[in-house]
Amino acid sequence: MLTIKNLEKRFGSLRALDDVSLEVEDDSIVGLIGPNGSGKTTLFNVVSGFYEKDGGEVYFKGERIDGLPPNKIAKKGLCRTFQVSKAPEKMTVLENMLLAAKRQLGENPFSALFMRPRVQKSEKANLDMALELLDMLQLSQLKNDYAGDLSGGQKKLLSLGRVFMLKPDMILLDEPTAGVNPTLRVQLMEAIRQLQKMERKAFFIIEHSMKVISNICDKVYVLNFGKKIAEGTPEEIQQNEQVLEAYLSGA
Amino acid sequence: MPIINFIIYLLTMIGIYSLLAMSLNFQVGFTGLINFGQVAFFCIGAYTSSLLVVNAGVPVVVAFLVAMALSGIFGYIMSIPTKSLKSDYWAIATLASGEIVRLVALNEAWLTAGPFGVMGIPQILKDLIPKDAYPVFYLLFVIACIIMVYIFLSMLTNSPFGRNLKAIRDEEELCLSLGKDTQKLKLQAMIVAGTVGGLAGSLFAFYIQFISPENFKPIETFLMWAMIIVGGRGNFKGAIIGAVVIQLFNVSTRFLGNYVPLGSDSMAALRMTIIGVLIILFLLFRPEGLIKEKKKVYD
Repeated sequence: MLTIKNLEKRFGSLRALDDVSLEVEDDSIVGLIGPNGSGKTTLFNVVSGFYEKDGGEVYFKGERIDGLPPNKIAKKGLCRTFQVSKAPEKMTVLENMLLAAKRQLGENPFSALFMRPRVQKSEKANLDMALELLDMLQLSQLKNDYAGDLSGGQKKLLSLGRVFMLKPDMILLDEPTAGVNPTLRVQLMEAIRQLQKMERKAFFIIEHSMKVISNICDKVYVLNFGKKIAEGTPEEIQQNEQVLEAYLSGA
Repeated sequence: MPIINFIIYLLTMIGIYSLLAMSLNFQVGFTGLINFGQVAFFCIGAYTSSLLVVNAGVPVVVAFLVAMALSGIFGYIMSIPTKSLKSDYWAIATLASGEIVRLVALNEAWLTAGPFGVMGIPQILKDLIPKDAYPVFYLLFVIACIIMVYIFLSMLTNSPFGRNLKAIRDEEELCLSLGKDTQKLKLQAMIVAGTVGGLAGSLFAFYIQFISPENFKPIETFLMWAMIIVGGRGNFKGAIIGAVVIQLFNVSTRFLGNYVPLGSDSMAALRMTIIGVLIILFLLFRPEGLIKEKKKVYD
């Protein structure tokens, strides 16, 4: 699904990504871990088009995507969430969900004015889907609250909801469970698992909690100082001495 | 009678500026585009329609439509630098574009008669309306335009298109991550706003019947900004109410000069000072303006 070859990203003299190669296979859940500042979010930013790379190649569904702007990459079915959730302040939770819906009618002035009946019909369908997702994320009672007024954890949930509205083929999640309460965290992970099984979507997840990683990931990559230092199943990673050292020396 | 004539004049000017404030609110309040060159649309609309009618003898309806289209195109041109400029730098660029348009009108005398302005702009449907009723007729015409523009802009802001614009205003990166072409959306928003501004300019020219570059100084843009700061951003009622408050003040104090023992120069300066104070007071004590942005609620 996603293939990254020899990816490089430099900030001045700092090598944020140093010759990173990795692969996320179709309908799998892959984890990305590493100490703070190891380049995980930078990797996401480069893959999703928010940063320009300094070298290497990125392929998605066999197609080269590096160099494309973020909106084109999202349109191709590769979507992401942000580590610090972005929530339009003066838009309600439901508006946020509807905003994300895929292939909407009425997204340009012309169709918004002259195709109103059809636009309303598609809005209705998107609304039903949004309500269903909000129910799953336990955000239903907040549907008409401004997204700017949500707590950090609720914003995380909302950003998951938005991404699900987009129905992408692959989802990059940047710390999806940070700030989410433990019970809901388990449910979230369960939801991700189910989505992956039912709709055969691929997930690539940055996560700090080893528990979360070992529960749902099929494979884990470890970054440190911009370099890939290990890859393997969660069990292998937990035994890997280099990984333990990176984490312990950082702590 | 003079007092009634004055009130009709005042209401007509309020109406024309309501259109400009709505157009500005569409850019600032909904899309987050900080445009300090709004007067450019006003100027292009006024000059295009009046020159087409006066110099080329084009029917008024066609002249209005061409004026709106040209202002829309200018909106498109203004939106191009949003690609590479951050919003604050783009705001500076818009200030320049407003001045460029005025300076072209001032200096390209072969086309615009330069500082002398365009004179003898005919009244619309003059032969059909009795002379005494004409000011009322024109006021009603302006009000009809406001209603149409209000409905038109509300339909847009309540659509998925409007939702995308609001999302650009609040979180542009999020929009990109959701696959929205934000550049294209901004461009479309500027075309819409330009078209409305061009309509206001045409209405103004055919009302005043004489326009010159003097009418389109940057101060006009700041009056429009004062309107949306006082009235409230992110809704069109606020723009209209802001236009009422500011124009009431701006126009009526012009005539107060006869009754106040101050020279007209100090009156003009004082007027702007008071509008400035008003803006500061609103920003301090009621930053959302008289009318708050309405929450869109689904049930």
